[in-house]
Amino acid sequence: MATLFPTTVAPRGFVSTDPELAAVDASVRWPVLVCFLSAVHWMVVGTVLLVYASSLTHPQDAFPILSWFIDLSNNFSMFTYGRVYPAAIDALVYGWASTAGLGLAAWLLARMSRQPIFAPAALMTAVVFWNLGVAIGLTAIFLGDSTGVELLEFPAYASWILWVAYAIFALWTVATYLGRRPGYDHIAQAWVIVALFAFSWLYAAGSILLSSHPLPGSGVMQEIIDAWYVHGIFTLWLAPLGLGLLYYLIPKVSGLSIRYGSKTWVAFWTWIIFAPWTAVHDLVGGPFPAETVTTGLCLSGLIFIPVAFIGFNLVSTAFEAEEKQGHHGGVVFPFLVLAAMAFVAAGISEQLLSIRAVNQLLRFTMFRQCNEFLWVYGFFSFVAFGSIYYIVPRLLDFGWRSALLVKIHYYTSFYGILLVIAMLGFGGVMQGNMLENPDPAVTITSASSVSVSFHIAATMCISLIAIGNGVFALHLGWMLIDWLRLRVRGNRLASEILVEPYDGDVAAPASPEVAA
Amino acid sequence: MNPTFRSFFTLILAIFMFTWLGLVVFPWIYLGHLPPIQDEGSTDITPWDSSGAAHQGEHIYAVNGCAYCHTQQVRASSSGADLVRGWGTAKDDDGKDVTRRTYPRDYIWQGQVFLGNSREGADLSNVAQRFPDAGKLYSYLYDPAVLNPHSSMPAYRFLFVTQKISGQPSQDAVVLPDADAPPAGYEVVPTEDGKSLVAYLLSLKKGYHLKPDEAGIPYVPPSTKS
Repeated sequence: MATLFPTTVAPRGFVSTDPELAAVDASVRWPVLVCFLSAVHWMVVGTVLLVYASSLTHPQDAFPILSWFIDLSNNFSMFTYGRVYPAAIDALVYGWASTAGLGLAAWLLARMSRQPIFAPAALMTAVVFWNLGVAIGLTAIFLGDSTGVELLEFPAYASWILWVAYAIFALWTVATYLGRRPGYDHIAQAWVIVALFAFSWLYAAGSILLSSHPLPGSGVMQEIIDAWYVHGIFTLWLAPLGLGLLYYLIPKVSGLSIRYGSKTWVAFWTWIIFAPWTAVHDLVGGPFPAETVTTGLCLSGLIFIPVAFIGFNLVSTAFEAEEKQGHHGGVVFPFLVLAAMAFVAAGISEQLLSIRAVNQLLRFTMFRQCNEFLWVYGFFSFVAFGSIYYIVPRLLDFGWRSALLVKIHYYTSFYGILLVIAMLGFGGVMQGNMLENPDPAVTITSASSVSVSFHIAATMCISLIAIGNGVFALHLGWMLIDWLRLRVRGNRLASEILVEPYDGDVAAPASPEVAA
Repeated sequence: MNPTFRSFFTLILAIFMFTWLGLVVFPWIYLGHLPPIQDEGSTDITPWDSSGAAHQGEHIYAVNGCAYCHTQQVRASSSGADLVRGWGTAKDDDGKDVTRRTYPRDYIWQGQVFLGNSREGADLSNVAQRFPDAGKLYSYLYDPAVLNPHSSMPAYRFLFVTQKISGQPSQDAVVLPDADAPPAGYEVVPTEDGKSLVAYLLSLKKGYHLKPDEAGIPYVPPSTKS
């Protein structure tokens, strides 16, 4: 492990030696940077909210700060668990993951098309409006205007802004792709294109049918559509975006081509066909048509096929790189390897939930949160971290400031996420054993007395993740400030040098010989 | 748009359509427009509609995120222990216990349904059976520890106001133990939001029978099940 990271980080020299790629990076610099900065901001906001929300699940006033939190939630409607928790998840899904994902998609499609983006100002405007939509939506949740539909809590006036901003952004990036140089086609582009298309469908259908024009009297249909939406966001939006980046960056950083490369397209198509059917994991046993649930369980039960192929592709390439080079190599690679492993873990958890007996046990427990965190925190966040560590130096031609901060970020997020997944997963099984106990003497109170210790553990792990996220945010801020200072000072120095000869008499430095 | 991209996109579109048809359109055909059942020879319909105040309460239930910890669905005994927990039991008009799972037709009058995905708290399909009067629900919402010392539910004091008693004490004044009681001469009363939330909770009771073929899901005769 000692060789996992370099001890220093390179200060300069990131611009691609290929002038075409350098021009592309320069054209997307500001839109992508604004995406990353706002995404990291929402990540910090979301994680802090999540620590607060999670601490409310075990109302024990052992710590003074916890009793203060409980007082807040008891007396002020905007601090109640039922508002803070959805706000935290929405901040993470729309603010952090999706905003970072937009930046990653724009960068990847522009770079792989070898086409500088046309009028980046339009892309910037879209990002600004997207962030505005997220901010309005979160404010509305806190002020009591949420729709109460999972992951679609933003009221209609916020979701319209989001959708229009998204449509502009996606059209712009897809247009860049369509104008690509012939001969540059790669599986990574297919993943990103599918994600961009899926989100427009998911978000339009989801918010029209459930939040802007809700369907009164449609009864349980609302929950079916919401299940389709929630699992679509994980499996058709975040997963393909992240996989696109991994399929591009893992070979790029390791210098090896994808292992079992002939299977990449099989993995792609089988994933698109099977993965969205994981929606029925939220419907098993409920008041829904049995045909839909059974068909869904059969199809989502085949998810091990794409997960296995993608795992073979990415993880075995990563391990081969480790074998050849003796270490993961640099700042970026460790995060990408973790992301690939987290994808396999998330796939396994989906596979488990598609087994009817397992689903029955875990259906209403904290295991569902474990699955959600695996997608958002485990898989997608690690893709985004690794990619941001790769991309930002290339946009600015300016290196990360400190190898130590990268290391702290890596280990806190790695252990934080590993432990929170373990706690919620194991806690889910324990809680399920109580909830599904055939003994009538077991009550909901006995179930929550089992789950409370896992909630306490989860709060501590999320706090650890929060530390890592904070370190990452500070590091990014530090880097940008240093870069700005260098630019400003560099320009001033340049201007001083330019004006010097015309600016009065400049005393010639005394030569050492004269002074002596 | 080159031909490769066009065929790629068409295939993606076809796959998404297939998922959409199977997951959304097909159930919609069955469940999108379920009418209530009218009893033969009478004007009674099953299930009955809940009151206007209950619909107001749905909104309060939504914005305060009750559904993140409470479900409103009872599974059959073959797919979960919900009936053992007593969540599927309610009394019918004759005072007899009805213990059953919930069906799609149970939800047709709700403007927004909250089936929920988490059971940090109890299932609320028949909460009105367990809390038959508003007073008990008010004191539970004001301080859950009063009725259940081990409850992990947060208190919802922002749904109440403490006001000075002028003349007669209010009918809705919440009965509280000494630890929570307001100072002498004051009383704790629910706000409009609190009242409509409680009205909604009191409408959650499914004390009527639905035959499987009336329940809103296609009826499968028992003989064909293995």
